[in-house]
Amino acid sequence: MGRGLPVGIVGWGAYIPRYRIKILEIASLWGFDPQLVKSLNIEEKAVANVDEDATTMGWYAARSAITRAGIDVSEVGAIFVGTESKPYAVKPSATIIADALNLPNKKLASDLEFACRAAGEAIRISLGLVSSGMVKYSLVVGSDTAQANPGDVLELTAASGAAAYVIGPKESSVAYFEGYYTYISDTPDFWRRDGSPYPLHGEIFTDEPAYFTHIVNAVKGLMREYSLKPEDFDYVVFHQPNGRFPLKVGLELGFTEAKILPGLLNPWVGNTYNAAALLGLARVLEESKPGQRILLATFGSGAGSDAFSLVVTDEVKSKVDKAVKVTDMLMNKVYIDYGRYVKFRKLLVRV
Amino acid sequence: MRLSIPRFWRKRFDYYSVRISECLDCGRRFYPRRSVCPYCRSRNVRVIPSKGIGEVLTYTISYYRLEGYEEVIPKIIALIKLVEGPVLIGELVDVDISEVREGLKVEAVLRRLKSEDPAGLIYYGIKFRPTVG
Amino acid sequence: MSSNNVYVIASSMVRVSRYFSKSYKDLVIDVVNELTSSVGSIDIDYLIVSNVFSDSILEQLDISTILAQELGLTPKPTLRVETGESSGLTAITQGYSLIKSGIADTVLVVGVEKCSEFPTPTMNKHFIKFLDYEVESIYGLSIVNEVSLLMKMYMRKYGYGRDDLSSWSVKMHSNALKNPYAQLRFLITKEQVVRSQVVSDPIRLLDMYPVGDGASAVLLSNRGDIVNNEVLEIVEIAQATSQPLNLREDLLSLPATKTVFNKLLSKSKLDLNDVIIEVHDSYSILGYLIIEELGLVERGRAPSIIDDLDNVNLSGGLKARGHPIGATGVYQVAEVFKIMTTGLGDIRRDSCWGLIHNMSAVDNNSVGVLVRRCSC
Repeated sequence: MGRGLPVGIVGWGAYIPRYRIKILEIASLWGFDPQLVKSLNIEEKAVANVDEDATTMGWYAARSAITRAGIDVSEVGAIFVGTESKPYAVKPSATIIADALNLPNKKLASDLEFACRAAGEAIRISLGLVSSGMVKYSLVVGSDTAQANPGDVLELTAASGAAAYVIGPKESSVAYFEGYYTYISDTPDFWRRDGSPYPLHGEIFTDEPAYFTHIVNAVKGLMREYSLKPEDFDYVVFHQPNGRFPLKVGLELGFTEAKILPGLLNPWVGNTYNAAALLGLARVLEESKPGQRILLATFGSGAGSDAFSLVVTDEVKSKVDKAVKVTDMLMNKVYIDYGRYVKFRKLLVRV
Repeated sequence: MRLSIPRFWRKRFDYYSVRISECLDCGRRFYPRRSVCPYCRSRNVRVIPSKGIGEVLTYTISYYRLEGYEEVIPKIIALIKLVEGPVLIGELVDVDISEVREGLKVEAVLRRLKSEDPAGLIYYGIKFRPTVG
Repeated sequence: MSSNNVYVIASSMVRVSRYFSKSYKDLVIDVVNELTSSVGSIDIDYLIVSNVFSDSILEQLDISTILAQELGLTPKPTLRVETGESSGLTAITQGYSLIKSGIADTVLVVGVEKCSEFPTPTMNKHFIKFLDYEVESIYGLSIVNEVSLLMKMYMRKYGYGRDDLSSWSVKMHSNALKNPYAQLRFLITKEQVVRSQVVSDPIRLLDMYPVGDGASAVLLSNRGDIVNNEVLEIVEIAQATSQPLNLREDLLSLPATKTVFNKLLSKSKLDLNDVIIEVHDSYSILGYLIIEELGLVERGRAPSIIDDLDNVNLSGGLKARGHPIGATGVYQVAEVFKIMTTGLGDIRRDSCWGLIHNMSAVDNNSVGVLVRRCSC
């Protein structure tokens, strides 16, 4: 089929906070029609506790990823944290997670920003670092406590979560990278100015010119370059700003619903920004079988999309139960009301 | 500036994960990390990492109002016995009051401890949550 | 060994309360004035000040010098003592040491604390400083949390219900009614204790000390005959430390307190029922544990003897007399002195012995003093 890189996913980890709020509750408070909620195919979203942030969630996912990888942390040569909800505007979360996991001092480390696809970019970078031999393992973390202006439609989906991947040599991987394609343009569909607590977005502009254009171009570019067709894939995981877009773009690209649903977590978790597609991938890996082919397509506003083709290996089965699974975290939930949500998300000004 | 930079930084590995001590003379294990064994006074003490897994021996629901910690009231404080043996006192998170019980299995997780908002440092450290899965 | 004896020859105190209109200097001047008006002017060789929160709350270091200046005691030497909640009694032991060693003939020990300078959540932030910051208080862990774990374990081990442990507070309030210097002078019932605000389950507001200001002064001398009233001799002092709660073998024992009691009682065969005793009941559960450690009653049985207790914390204890932190230990000595000599209000006893116990946090350190009436 196409070129294969000698690089793969050696371990993966996920983190979904325990708390959930029902979308209908938010909608009802702010006067959104329940029909809108239904049309977005969203049920509830995950809410980080008051003492959690992108760094703490990313740490948990990263630790699971390293546990599943079964590697010696001294061999991790790079760590990237893709996030748009950095606890420090200047001071990397990557170094905190790195020291908390006892990664060696000799390494690359950085936080990346590209809205929701920064972690996807980190995977691209890791492919180069590992295949060139510059590092043996690269740790990629996608983590966000997604922000939304209270009362804005974005609040119906903005959620908290994290996922992490150890990228390393193909021989020890649970899935190797068969191909990659990234498509980027200057498209201002969604942004957050420095100092602003919440982002602004172009509403419908975020659909066609942004999400759909970039994902379609990335995926079609990937399939063209590697001579792949929709039927070649067993699973397709998209960035998931709501529960509807992944189905829409997937069907448009020729994939069946059955291939999209396993990696679609948004209805139960919400949009975890940098963790969104990566959590879907984690869920898929946990049920996948050797030989299956997975399409992963990220999207980040601003805008860009990475498409990856992954082929699952025999290693996957033995690693699934080595750390907490996505399905376990999906079921481990407690509902909160909007009052507790406001407290957890620190939406009130306190002195 | 209220939160010291070096004071936390130099001990960060003790805050980022559970590290326990083992006395090579009397064999006792204890938390936190010490240079001198509190039981036999030997200086022959080494650090060993803990899995961070333990069980709740007893607990209290605290409504004590502390300036700087008002965000998390009520707070659940527990006496926890690690699988490696040492006993420590820690905060339980992500658990409802009705779910806490003696014998609850918990794991150490990294959380925000305190921060000098809006512009100062954030201190991260270990709290405990019920194990999942 | 020096042949200097050390006597408690006079004491004074103000009522424990919230003194928004008085500074720490005002309170100290008040108690020293009262002292000098009762014993006349006496040449003081040393001033020892017990004040815990001098730099936390009062933005003041070297507070003993500042007070010496304020009191017109310069050029005499001073020192400030701080051993957490037991600072007051430690200050007494340091005064004892200065006289015993011959360095001073007369020492004025003053305890003062101003807990009302800030609202309670701020004060609570300072109260947790008696724990190890790097291990406990940085996590927002408080003494009351640790004590509540003890209370639960005690209840579980000995089969007590919450209601069974309310008698201590009721008794303390009853005692305090007769002490004109006590902060809380009203009766309470067991029901009120159980229904008061939860602080750290199962500890309720009426299980623990109130927050207040206080000042107390005690005059120590190597001569018991320079005053007209009866005096007490300090016969024994003891101090001990222990490891934090989570490192203890038996979490329901108070190792430092036990060491202190053993030393205090090692040379004198005493019937504890005849001794005037003041113990550090910052929390009611600690009151039970302390008297069990003292041997007044077997382990686990303290709640059953409280109603009949006739010689412990006649002042009302920390629960009802109050706990102006650094001043408390000095109050305890001042009270025992008055009870055994001139009278604390109407409280007066003919006992020959007095035993004072002051402690910090959950028995992180413990201090004890044994006094004997000289005319016995």
